[in-house]
Amino acid sequence: MQPHLKRAFIILVLVIIGFLFVRSFIVPESFGQYGWYRGDSVAELRDIPVGYAGSASCSGINNECHKTTYSIWVDSRHKTVNCETCHGPSEKHVIDTRVMPEPANDTREFCGLCHFKRAARPADFPQIDPETHGENLKCAYCHNPHKPWFL
Amino acid sequence: MDLSRREFTKFGCRIIIGAAAGATIVESIATLGVAQEESSNKEYDWNEHLWGYVVDTRKCIGCGRCANACKLENEVPFDEPVYRTWIERYRIVREGTEESVKIDSPDGGIKGFAEDIPAEEIKKAFYVPKICNHCDNPPCVQVCPVGATYKTEDGVILVDYNYCIGCRYCIQGCPYGARYFNNEKRTADKCTWCYHRITKGLLPACVQACPVGARKFGDLKDPESEINKILDKERINVLKADLGTKPKVYYVGLDREVR
Amino acid sequence: MAVENLVWGYIYPNEIEIQWSVLIVLYPYITGLVAGAFIASSLYHVFGKREIKPVARFALLTALSFLLVATMPLLTHLGHPERGIEIMFTPHLTSAMSGFGYIYSFYLIVVVLEIWLSFREDIVKNALKCKGWKKQMYSALALYSYDISGKALHDDEKLAKKLAIIGIPSAAFLHGYVGFIFGGIKANPWWSTPLMPIIFLMSAIVSGIALLILLYIAASKLRKKVLNYETLFSLAHYLWVFLILDVALELLEIISMKYESLEEIEIIDRLLSEKIATTFYGVQLTMGIFIPFVLLILVMVMKNREQLKTLMIAVSSIFVVIGVFAMRWNVVIGGQEISKSLSGTNTYVPVFFSQEGVLPAIIILTIPFIILLVLTYILPPWKDMDEDID
Repeated sequence: MQPHLKRAFIILVLVIIGFLFVRSFIVPESFGQYGWYRGDSVAELRDIPVGYAGSASCSGINNECHKTTYSIWVDSRHKTVNCETCHGPSEKHVIDTRVMPEPANDTREFCGLCHFKRAARPADFPQIDPETHGENLKCAYCHNPHKPWFL
Repeated sequence: MDLSRREFTKFGCRIIIGAAAGATIVESIATLGVAQEESSNKEYDWNEHLWGYVVDTRKCIGCGRCANACKLENEVPFDEPVYRTWIERYRIVREGTEESVKIDSPDGGIKGFAEDIPAEEIKKAFYVPKICNHCDNPPCVQVCPVGATYKTEDGVILVDYNYCIGCRYCIQGCPYGARYFNNEKRTADKCTWCYHRITKGLLPACVQACPVGARKFGDLKDPESEINKILDKERINVLKADLGTKPKVYYVGLDREVR
Repeated sequence: MAVENLVWGYIYPNEIEIQWSVLIVLYPYITGLVAGAFIASSLYHVFGKREIKPVARFALLTALSFLLVATMPLLTHLGHPERGIEIMFTPHLTSAMSGFGYIYSFYLIVVVLEIWLSFREDIVKNALKCKGWKKQMYSALALYSYDISGKALHDDEKLAKKLAIIGIPSAAFLHGYVGFIFGGIKANPWWSTPLMPIIFLMSAIVSGIALLILLYIAASKLRKKVLNYETLFSLAHYLWVFLILDVALELLEIISMKYESLEEIEIIDRLLSEKIATTFYGVQLTMGIFIPFVLLILVMVMKNREQLKTLMIAVSSIFVVIGVFAMRWNVVIGGQEISKSLSGTNTYVPVFFSQEGVLPAIIILTIPFIILLVLTYILPPWKDMDEDID
């Protein structure tokens, strides 16, 4: 082989070796642990803190913080509506009761998200016409959101 | 004194959260509680699970609490038009003899749906919740050039935010529009089925927030799970089955107009 | 402009933002020019078409100039440019995009070696002749090996030919795979077709030859030298041949889409008739293919009148270069303007000043010409152009 070609070839080999050398340092150690990805990222994504605690942390068998409301709600037609669906994410409050969650939204519009008359809703779902029903009062004026009644 | 009490509260809460695991029907908490408490103490083993999701479109009332809870739980930029889950409204509208399909999803449904078409013109209407299908054959994972998105052993598609280069090829590759670009992280982002919750024995935030049980989540490997009961009983459909993505979000009562 | 005016029908909420901007239009455009210029030079180096010889080395320099900037639009576009190297460290081989790093690097090595071998005689002569920093530079480029005996040059030429033979499939691969990045996306009916790689390749060759013609004319005018008409007409002839292949494939794609009329045909029709009607029918097909096609036929049948024919070839080439850009635009932007719900369309509004705006695109498209200027200063390819004229 001509000397200049030999030199060019050596440079090319050196570049490739250099690349492999750098690569061995930079690729994260856990890459390929489970598959073609960084294994550590699974634990990172699992460790994200929870925001919604779940209704069972409000009262029930393990604590009795909101015993009265809970016992009313658990037998009501709203039992399928979890506490935090209206009251907002409360894990921080569960961990430290001095951190108070935002008060629940008690506007007509908020209740209306579920209960205003909409053509796309299942017909048997309780819905009202906001124009004719309730004289623009807050819903909680007549209905207890924890144990709603209807006519 | 103060500290120890707080520690105690914290410990108590962990048990309570564990107790809540798997309980989709509130009445059954008491009976489920003990068993779940024990299992939550064990290290989570992803080989024991294969997660699945059922959407019953016949139950959805379009309240948008799921999409709202998702944004809060997962710190999805609230005022940007990006969604890990959203609700679509389909209305088959009659105009004279003509029929047309009107589809919308204002703010992903988070703020509800205004009634802007007179009821007498609407022939048929329904809501369809949408979410990442966590495909068994995920095109987004296939196209990621660096291995920054992957399918876990328990069947969840995740994004490694510390490795994603932000090329957005996965967003192009997803047939369902389930992925978006997170401008804060500068990476692709998507629904994780609340992986940080389900691996702790909790339900995804959207499932927990649903007031009518239109969204169900559970373990496909557990023959007794609620979703397996539904899959055994109901006629099931998936979105864009012809693309061969093998979705793990199963729809009950899916209309032909839904894509 | 309000979002409502840009959206028609229903698009998935996450589709409001168009993800791939004008920079991603630029990327296949630039790699296309590279592949085309390289293949033009191979006409001489591999297929021994002597009439191409005057521009063969110039074409290689052109290819290198554009190849060096091909990564720029991509890196500028990334959310995390600093992580871009991961595509070489941990390429996920099921992704069409993961090949980029290695295909690009391999091709870069081939082009650089090819240029080095074909210019080595000049480099060594300069190293021996020049003084000062120039001597240093040329000596380094010669790798401090100054053998330009007949045998050495003959060996160089043999190796250069082998490299060019490797170079053609790699040029085709470099660009064909860019087509596959789009063609392999089953989520997008406007992209998903097995014809995409070959359409990209044909339009790449067309644009590369057209660019070479323009640069050759410009270089001759700037240097106040006479054009070699044999070379020019020969290039024009190849341009015409590849135009036919290009238009046949592009029309085949559209015709089969319309004929099969699958689920997505309504939204494709809307895309073609409302969203990209001007850039598709007007710029890509009429201006980019039909007009040059007719002009080049006229060039081939006309006798004498070199001035007019040169003008017609120049106009054709300009139209082709613009038309191919429109083709890239129609694929990249057009594909994103239709919703994957197949029920609506979005509109891409280019921004001028932004990371992914028109300004960076213009800057990136200017850089290769500056690189080419520098390269032709270091390694002048003009000798070939001047000596063959009788």
